Amino acid sequence: MASAPSKLYADDVSLLMVLLDTNPFFWSSSSLPFSVFLSHVLTFLNSILLLNQLNQVVVIATGYNSCSYIYDSSTSTNQGSDNGRMPARCVNLLQKLEEFVIKDEQLIKEGLREGIASSLLSGSLSMALCYIQRVFRSGPLHPQPRILCLQGSSDGSEQYVAIMNAIFSAQRSMVPIDSCYMGSSNSAFLQQASYITGGVYLKPQQPNGLFQYLSTVFATDLHSRAFLQLPKSLGVDFRASCFCHKKTIDMGYICSVCLSIFCKHHKKCSTCGSVFGQAQSDVNSTSNKKRKTPET
Amino acid sequence: MPQVRIIAKNFMDMVAALPAMKLDKLYENAFICEAILRSLPPLAKKYVLQMLCIEVPVTAKSMEEWVLPDGVSKHRVAIDRLIQLRIFTETVDRKRETTYTLNPIFQTNLKKLLLYGVVLPREPMPSNVTVRLPSSEDLEAFALGQWECFLLQLINSSQIERPSNISSSMMKIFQRGLLSQRDKEAPRLTESGFQFLLMDTNAQLWYIIREYISNSEERGVDSADLISFLLELSFHVTGEAYNINTLTEVQKNTIKDLADLGLVKLQQGRKDSWFIPTRLATNLSVSLTDSSSRKQGFVVVETNFRLYAYSTSKLHCEILRLFSRVEYQLPNLIVGAITKESLYSAFENGITADQAILSFSYCTFIYFHFGSSLSRRFFNFQYAQINECTFHIISFLQQNAHPRVAERVPSVPENVTDQIRLWETDLNRVEMTPAYHYDGFPSRDLFEGASDFARGYNALLWEDPEDSKKMSLVVKAENHVHMREYLSRQRQ
Repeated sequence: MASAPSKLYADDVSLLMVLLDTNPFFWSSSSLPFSVFLSHVLTFLNSILLLNQLNQVVVIATGYNSCSYIYDSSTSTNQGSDNGRMPARCVNLLQKLEEFVIKDEQLIKEGLREGIASSLLSGSLSMALCYIQRVFRSGPLHPQPRILCLQGSSDGSEQYVAIMNAIFSAQRSMVPIDSCYMGSSNSAFLQQASYITGGVYLKPQQPNGLFQYLSTVFATDLHSRAFLQLPKSLGVDFRASCFCHKKTIDMGYICSVCLSIFCKHHKKCSTCGSVFGQAQSDVNSTSNKKRKTPET
Repeated sequence: MPQVRIIAKNFMDMVAALPAMKLDKLYENAFICEAILRSLPPLAKKYVLQMLCIEVPVTAKSMEEWVLPDGVSKHRVAIDRLIQLRIFTETVDRKRETTYTLNPIFQTNLKKLLLYGVVLPREPMPSNVTVRLPSSEDLEAFALGQWECFLLQLINSSQIERPSNISSSMMKIFQRGLLSQRDKEAPRLTESGFQFLLMDTNAQLWYIIREYISNSEERGVDSADLISFLLELSFHVTGEAYNINTLTEVQKNTIKDLADLGLVKLQQGRKDSWFIPTRLATNLSVSLTDSSSRKQGFVVVETNFRLYAYSTSKLHCEILRLFSRVEYQLPNLIVGAITKESLYSAFENGITADQAILSFSYCTFIYFHFGSSLSRRFFNFQYAQINECTFHIISFLQQNAHPRVAERVPSVPENVTDQIRLWETDLNRVEMTPAYHYDGFPSRDLFEGASDFARGYNALLWEDPEDSKKMSLVVKAENHVHMREYLSRQRQ
C-alpha cells in the first residue's frame, strides 16, 4: 500500500468530491423527484462548507454520456447575487448543472447506446481521483479528500474494468469512497467501492429524509470517523464481471498472468496476450477453471 | 509554573463565560452562529448538524450508541462544549433520562443560513463613490505595517518610527503580563511576552483582541456587543469599502482602534468615509480554529547553526535577537547564529524578569535539627522549566521557514532542533522540590514514627537506610507544619 499523504492540516478539514448522478432515465422513473433530491444535496453542500472555512466541495455531474465538473468551492467566488433567497453558490451550481444536462442530452441524440440506462460512473470517479491527485501534489498542506457517490442508476457492467481500476487507485491513495445509492436494488459496484476503500455504503430507506442521512452519515469528517459507529454494509456483492461479455458471473476463468476474467475458455488472453495451454474443457479439470475469489 | 499563560485559542471560553442572556442574544446573529459552529471540535460540529432538523429532544443514550469505545472521551468533550456554549440544552426527565435539544435560536439561524444564505447588515459601497481603493497588496502591506508598528510599540522598542494612535492607557492594558516594569529599570519582556512574540500573527491578534474585549466593560462597551461586532466584521469581504455611517456610535469608536491594529483601513471620501477590512479582520474567525493561513516564511536555518532571515522588518530583527546572536544586517537580510549563550539569555529572559509572577525561581532547603542545637542553612537554587520556551523558538523557526527550505522535512535541521532541546535540558537537569531535612532523632522509635507519619502524607522524599545509625529523613516543605506538630506532640 502506498504511503499515506502527509496530513498536516487541521483535523477535520475535508475535501469532498460529490459525484452527482444526473441520468435522466433514472430520475424520470424515481420516486424521489430530481428537484427534491437536488435541494437536499444543495443544503448538504452548504452545511459542509459551513462546518469549516477551509472545507472544499467539488461537484462532478455524472451524466449518461459524459461527466463534467460543475462546481468547485475553491475557485468560485461567493459574491454576486446573494439575494437572500438562495446562496450565490447554489445559483452558480444550478446554472452549470443545467448547461451540463442540456449538453449531455444532445450527446444522447447523436449516438443512442443500447441496453440499460446506466450513468458514466467510471468517468466521474476517474475525474474525482485526478482532482485529488492534483490536490495531493499541491503541497504538504491539503484537506483530507473523500469521494461521495450520489448514484441512482443501476450498474453499467460494461464499465466494470474501469470502475474497479478507479476503486483500486482510490484505495492506493487512501481516499475513501462513500456511496449513497438512491436506486431500488443495491449497487454491487458501489458496495465494493465503499468496502474496499473503507467508505460507507448506504441505501436510504426513506429517500424523503435524504438530508438527515447525508448530514448524519456522510457529513462525518475522516477524523471523527475514528470515534463513531457508522453504518456497516451487511452483505457485499463481490461478484465480478467477465471481460469478454461484461456479464456478472459467479464462476469463470482467469488469466494466470494478468488476472483478467473470462466467462468461457479462450485460446489467448484478450488483455495481455498470453497464450493459454491446451483447453481441457472436455475433461473439465479444475486446473484452469478456478473460482473467482473476492478481491479484497 | 507561570501564572500568566498565553493560550491562543481560548476565545470561545470567553464566549462561553458570557451570561446566558447575552449568549442567547449573540445567537440571534447568524454570523455568530456560523463562527461559533466553526470553532467547535469536529465531533461537536457533527452533532449540531445531525440535530439540525430534529425538533424533539434526543436522548443521551441514543447519541452514545454512535460512539465507539475509543471515542468516549472525545464525545464527552464535544457534548460538554455544546452545553457550555448553550448550543445544547440538557434536561433530565422523571425517568432520569438525559436528553438534549438544540438551542432553538441557534437552530433556526443555522437552518436559515443553509437554505437561504444571509446578507451582511451593510452592502459594499459602489465603486464610483470609492475611487481610490487600495490594491490587495497595498492593503496587505498596510495591515502588516500597522501590526508591526503596534508590536514594536508594545515591546517598547526603540525602533519605532511613528507611534500609533493607541492611547497609552490602552497600551498599558495590552502590556500587562507581557512586560514587567521594575523600578529604575527599563521594562523587560516576561516569559509570556517572549512567547507572545514568537507566536504567529493570528494567535497574537487573538491575544490582543481578547485583552481588548475583557477590558471593554471598563470603557463602557458591552462585551457581547463587541464580540458580535468583531465576528461580524470577519465575514466582510477583504478589500471592499463599507460605509462608516452604517455603524453605531460605539462601533465607530471601536473601528478606530481596530484601524490602529491594522484590522481595517479607514478612508475619507468627499462626502462619506468608509472602512476597508484587511486580511487580519477576515481571518479573525478563521484563527478561532487553527492558524493554517500561513504567510510566506523568511528564515533559513543551516546545520551549522547559522540563521539567515530574508526580511526588512525591524520586528523580525528584534524577535531574532531574542534568541540568536545577530551578526550583521543587510538591507534585506539578517544573518545570525544560534549559540548556547544566546539561547541561555533567551531562557533567562523569561525567568529573571518577574520572579514574583513566575514563582518558580527559588527553592529552599532547610536543615532542621531536632534537639538542642537548631541550625538552618539556606540553599538557593535557580531552576527553570522552559520547555515552552524552547517549543516556541523551534516552532517559530519552523513556521517561518523560507519557502526554499519549507519543502524539506524537517524544515529546520534536526541537529539544530536537537541541540536547542539539549541546551535547554542542560539548564534543568535537576528537579527541585522544596524540602526539610530532619536529623538527630533521640530514639529509633521516634524516627520510625516520624518516617511513617511523613509517608502517610505521601511527603517522604528520602530516609536513611535501615542499617544506618544516622537516622535522618527529608520531607517535602509543604508538610513541615504537620511534621513539626507531630514531633512536638511526640516530645511531650
